[in-house]
Amino acid sequence: MAKSEDCVHILQGLLVFGNVVIGMCGIALTAECIYFVSNPHGVYTLLKASENSDIYAAAWIGIFVGLALFALSILGIIGVIKASRTLLLVYIILMLITFAFEMASCITAATHRDSATPELFLKQMLERYQKSEPANNNGNEVTKTWDELMLQNHCCGVLGPSDWQEYTSAFRLTHSDADYPWPRKCCVLDAQGLPVNLDGCKLGVPGYYNSNGCYDAISGPVNTHAWGVAWFGFAILCWTFCVLLGTMFYWSGIEY
Amino acid sequence: VRGCSGGSAPSAAPLWLLTAAKLGYTPVLAKTPPLEGLTTASTFVLEQPRCVFDDYGNADIWLVVALEKAASTFNNTAGPGTLETAFQDFPDPVSAYMTLNATLANYPCPKPPGDITVLRVGSETSCAQDKARPTCNGPLPGPGPYLVKFLALQGSEPVAETAWSERIMLRTAKPPSSISTTGSGHSAGMIAITTILSILFAILLAGLVAMLVFWGSDSCGGSSTFSKPESVTVRRYNTHHVYDQPAARL
Repeated sequence: MAKSEDCVHILQGLLVFGNVVIGMCGIALTAECIYFVSNPHGVYTLLKASENSDIYAAAWIGIFVGLALFALSILGIIGVIKASRTLLLVYIILMLITFAFEMASCITAATHRDSATPELFLKQMLERYQKSEPANNNGNEVTKTWDELMLQNHCCGVLGPSDWQEYTSAFRLTHSDADYPWPRKCCVLDAQGLPVNLDGCKLGVPGYYNSNGCYDAISGPVNTHAWGVAWFGFAILCWTFCVLLGTMFYWSGIEY
Repeated sequence: VRGCSGGSAPSAAPLWLLTAAKLGYTPVLAKTPPLEGLTTASTFVLEQPRCVFDDYGNADIWLVVALEKAASTFNNTAGPGTLETAFQDFPDPVSAYMTLNATLANYPCPKPPGDITVLRVGSETSCAQDKARPTCNGPLPGPGPYLVKFLALQGSEPVAETAWSERIMLRTAKPPSSISTTGSGHSAGMIAITTILSILFAILLAGLVAMLVFWGSDSCGGSSTFSKPESVTVRRYNTHHVYDQPAARL
């Protein structure tokens, strides 16, 4: 029955091809998640301080899922070529477990990206920036992170310098409004780290202070991170779904 | 000592000097350039009164800052630097204080274009509690509303004054606990991912269950049943030879 054999070979070929793609995507997912975990752009401290660091948990899961996908794809290729019922059954069950984990990772990344709103960072910044509590290490890290953020991105506050005017803050408790309408880091600084024109900065003269907020600098990395994990994982899972369906169909056709 | 109502004066000063000339200028918050810190919680920024006091080259120009309710009862002859107008006792019991002493030389006319000519009221924090500096330009104690005017004094006599400004309200800060971080909703993408993945996972589980239920039964395989190829080799064969010569492969 030449035609049936042709169909079988085509199905085998497709499944092998599908598994090869899954293997490569698994490696890519691992690489991407390792990149995110090791290169947090300083945003990790802020997320951790707001108990919102599950995006990093999702990336960690992604690393292991990627490796599992690679290993399982090799198992799948061997199973398809050998047409072994046992191997393929093991393959399908393990793939389903990996599918479940990756699903959890995608949904976690997407949900926590949604909760990284400007309000969350604003509240945290107001409550912890320059909080004078020597026992509280957490407050210090937030201050350092914000100082670095404002310095490197030439920005001020979350939505703008008015954040410091519209709300009271831990910063306001130790720095008077007349001398420090906003932190000195919001001023345009010279090479020595001193404000170019302190009075201009305090008045808010355009050119002597940073008028834009830091939210874009924060949400950029968080967005790429979350959507990188979530959408790439989603794409892999859709492809895996097709391959698994094909494998189940192939499995049920193997002579016992 | 002269009274406000212009009672009989011991010296021969003409009567018209007893009331200050009312200039047509109204103090206003700084308009150019747009300032982020135009009003903060304890300071505000005024335009300098350029080309206003040109006839009073010898006078001291003072800024009077008053609570809104005290503006109408302010006495022009109240001297700066006295207990009645000391900043440190503002707003209670002093309801209007005088600060920012300047002369015409500080406000040259005309204003050079491109220069930022402003007065920041409330910028001196060092003397805010220092009773020895009653003319301190200290930070304002509350959100207002405040009225300001400029008063030119020659010696201790008021010679010219501007009109009272519009009400100036300062900013009030809200506590950070008023920021609501909940209820941000879920984005469409997250809902799509969750639904689609759940459906796919459910289909796969159903497929797995079907597989296991029909384990070993060929009834579902039907026409696609095929024989396993030999495990020693994975090379492809011409398919029409497979059933003809199975022994040839050994």
